[in-house]
Amino acid sequence: MADNIGYEGIVKLLKAAAEKIKANRDYLSKLDSATGDGDHGTAVFKVADAITGTIAKDNSKNLKILLKDIGWAAMSTDAGSTSPLYGSLFMGMSESIADDALLDCKAFVSMMEAGVTKLRKNTKAEVGCKTMIDTLVPAITALRGAADSGKSIAQALSDGADAAVKGAESTKEMKATFGRAKNIGERSIGHIDPGATSMSLLFVGMKEGYQNG
Amino acid sequence: MGMKKFINNPDNLTAELLEGYCSAYSNKVQLVSDKIVMRLKPKDKSKVALLTLGGAGHEPALSGFVGEGMLDASVVGDIFAAPGAPKVIEAMRLLKRDAGILFVVLNHAGDVMSGNMAMEMAKQEGINVKMILTHEDIAPGADSPIENRRGLAGCIPLYKVAGAAAEAGKSLDEVYNIAEKFNNNMATLAVALKPATHPQSGQEIFTLAEDEMEIGMGQHGEAGTGRSQMLSADETAVKMITQLIMAVKAKKGDKIHLMINGAGATTQMEMFIVYRAAKKYVQGLGIKVVHSLVGEYLTVQEMGGFQMFVAKLDDELLKLMYAPADAPYWTVR
Repeated sequence: MADNIGYEGIVKLLKAAAEKIKANRDYLSKLDSATGDGDHGTAVFKVADAITGTIAKDNSKNLKILLKDIGWAAMSTDAGSTSPLYGSLFMGMSESIADDALLDCKAFVSMMEAGVTKLRKNTKAEVGCKTMIDTLVPAITALRGAADSGKSIAQALSDGADAAVKGAESTKEMKATFGRAKNIGERSIGHIDPGATSMSLLFVGMKEGYQNG
Repeated sequence: MGMKKFINNPDNLTAELLEGYCSAYSNKVQLVSDKIVMRLKPKDKSKVALLTLGGAGHEPALSGFVGEGMLDASVVGDIFAAPGAPKVIEAMRLLKRDAGILFVVLNHAGDVMSGNMAMEMAKQEGINVKMILTHEDIAPGADSPIENRRGLAGCIPLYKVAGAAAEAGKSLDEVYNIAEKFNNNMATLAVALKPATHPQSGQEIFTLAEDEMEIGMGQHGEAGTGRSQMLSADETAVKMITQLIMAVKAKKGDKIHLMINGAGATTQMEMFIVYRAAKKYVQGLGIKVVHSLVGEYLTVQEMGGFQMFVAKLDDELLKLMYAPADAPYWTVR
């Protein structure tokens, strides 16, 4: 059986990821009140809502168009830096693929990488700055590793989710040097970063969406 | 503890406050496409337009300064959150003109990201726009890199000088240079006494002990670097003005603008007492305060504290500061 993923498959992943984030709205805001202004749950909820809303409205059945529309909708959510970061992730994914893309594991990972590259153009944050980058970089590295060693999409998503969760947890001991949390410096140590956490939920949600799809 | 505010559904805060604001000042401003506050009577297209963006919850900033001689439009996000780039590009299309647009962005991560993205789209669409970034917070040190210095209430007098220059018919480059001159000669320091409650989450945005204050607090409750025991008004004022004067390198004979901007829960009485102490100190150095503002311009809900702002003015900037303006929260006749 060919191990490919196209429009319908990606829709399942993204729906599950968005629902996962929505379900954790209060938890994420609570995390944010320790280091930021307590609204990350609300912010990322809006982005998740933009994802499911765009999917529900989509008539194109075209993955490239769907991802571009999700990116634009996410960017329009007025959720502070969360909007442009998630927006550019989806825009970057869209820009990297063909109209009626049917992706094998390597192509799927390349699309994810293109999204992350576009997202990272918005921020100078590196690994260790206590941001979503601490989730994204290990997650994308794990995806690439799985693809290059010939693993299935299911296995790659599983490896990606595990690395994402570990990455998010690693922010707990970090001192924030980026975003609003940087202003509290040492006092940020001991608190897991909300942006890293919501990004890890995206990867966990995608994994679960694939398994249950 | 529950939140005690006169609000309805927390998700509708921005929409309802913009509806109220624009109908209260319907003789000066209008709401376009839900989130764009524009001048009621647009400026002549032959003149440079002034645009800004920023989150809500800081009223009267930023939209309170849309009006003749100041901003042409402000794009509003949600509470403490930047508007998305799509709304910003929409405002740029509305203001598009050969004379160009000066786009003022305050240095906060979300604002800068949306701003940069809108600039990229504007370039693709051939919209003539120049962006200026305010970054006058000196809490991390006046010489620390720009990315570490937040844009605080200094954007408001900057709108004033840039807006007056645009109104006078100066070119985009000239307006930009004037704004940049002001930008490079201004400094803000904030002090916090009491937290604000985020009106959507109901959570206090920071905590401070009863007997503590914090110099350097940002306008979203981002903690600063100088937590200390409570000081008197005069001690606080002198501590802050000393650093501000050093930051703008003002010396004997120089002229400055001095602003005390209340954070929301600090009384006008306290602000005048602080202003008086800061002015005395400045005068003692032989520096002239030639323009002053004392009041609430950029607030942070019911946060206790204030921002002290200093800008060095030359004759050109001083003249622009006193030029006519007719925005709901800044009028000069």
